[in-house]
Amino acid sequence: MSNRAPRPFSLLAEVTHRCPLHCPYCSNPLELASQASELRTDEWKRVLAEASELGVLHVGFSGGEPLQRQDILELVAAAREAGLYSNLITSSLGLNRRRAEELKKAGLDSIQISFQSDEAALADRIAGTSAHAKKLEAARMVRELGFPLTVNTVLHRGNIERLEQIILLAENLSAERLELANTQYYGWAFKNRAALLPARTQIDRAVEIANAARKRLLGRMEVLFVVPDYYSDRPKPCMHGWGQKHLTVNPAGEVLPCPTAHEIKSMKFDNVREKPLAWIWAESEAFNRFRGTEWMPDPCRSCEFREVDFGGCRCQAALITGDATMTDPACKLSPQREALTAFVEASQKAGPGFALNGEEILFRQNA
Amino acid sequence: MQLPSADMRPKLSSRARLQTDKVTGKPVLLYPEGVLMLNPTGHAVVSLCTGEVTFGEIVANLAARYKISPEEISPQIADYLNRLRERNLLELAGANEAKT
Repeated sequence: MSNRAPRPFSLLAEVTHRCPLHCPYCSNPLELASQASELRTDEWKRVLAEASELGVLHVGFSGGEPLQRQDILELVAAAREAGLYSNLITSSLGLNRRRAEELKKAGLDSIQISFQSDEAALADRIAGTSAHAKKLEAARMVRELGFPLTVNTVLHRGNIERLEQIILLAENLSAERLELANTQYYGWAFKNRAALLPARTQIDRAVEIANAARKRLLGRMEVLFVVPDYYSDRPKPCMHGWGQKHLTVNPAGEVLPCPTAHEIKSMKFDNVREKPLAWIWAESEAFNRFRGTEWMPDPCRSCEFREVDFGGCRCQAALITGDATMTDPACKLSPQREALTAFVEASQKAGPGFALNGEEILFRQNA
Repeated sequence: MQLPSADMRPKLSSRARLQTDKVTGKPVLLYPEGVLMLNPTGHAVVSLCTGEVTFGEIVANLAARYKISPEEISPQIADYLNRLRERNLLELAGANEAKT
């Protein structure tokens, strides 16, 4: 793999960090961007056009809650005009029928709604607000309007025992895609990881359930199960390689090789307010820092899997070892693997569920 | 692999969008979280998945276009359609359903 910049395929447009939910597994940074710092409408439109010129085909409007932006219709229309396939990644709070119809007219291609669990009592406790009933209503309305629907549920110790019921919920809502994403431990989630990480037995059971559902629903509903890398021997091929396929633009306009790259505190990210997106993608220090395989230390450098998993996740290396250039400690070959193993072993003693009212969990707060 | 019946009318799912790629000038099929870069044959098949054309007609059309016998090309097209179906990108409406 050379260091020459390849073509990016997807853009995550984090249009705001504002969010009506308070999920403790949020991967947004602990220091959220203020509304005043957010890119303006014309700036986002330029980002979308520039991304399309670079080769990007998919844009996910995310955040925070993208519907908090009053100009979301205009942004969706701009994405359509640029030929991008757009996905609204939403809690669905703020999505009434009129707005959904307008989004459809503006050219929105698909909608992803998050569900915290399958039933209101637990789901609302996790979200830190009353949201579940509204989500059900919104999901049904979205399907009536003919949008493809993805249901996304972030899994953790508090809801993983409800997996079968969560799958059933997605089926009942006629979702065409179900993302069962084990919590990725960044941002608020990293802070809360002792309360969130499921036990190994829970993960094993969840894998069985998800595999059975995938087979049963083939051709009807795509079932995606994201394994928590804390339980794996090999690191995840994070972002399919740094600066290879994906870019994230955060609310303030910084361009990141992955949505959680803010975890690498030593790294500076260029801003679309100051530089063209094409330059940032191809030339900026941040995008080239871990592009390809040259940067790798051992054991990655000489590893036969170096172009399979790309050394794993730079953000996780930074969070756990304090050094973003190290092998991801999720890899069993990492010299720092012990730090992760010790944490995982300590987590096995905890019972199911987490103390949502206790002090051991930190709910996400707005800026 | 099971062959679709000759009167099936495959229709591209509404979640998929076929367009020309700006970078390569070639056809791409976009869908949630995914993309298929289509080769000329794939493009020919996908373009005929309108819900109007039967599987039998697709086979006849492509057999004539690529000068291959229908017997030879039929399983290849079926295989391609099956892969689209597994990605939830295809509706395989029967002859009657397609009219509604």
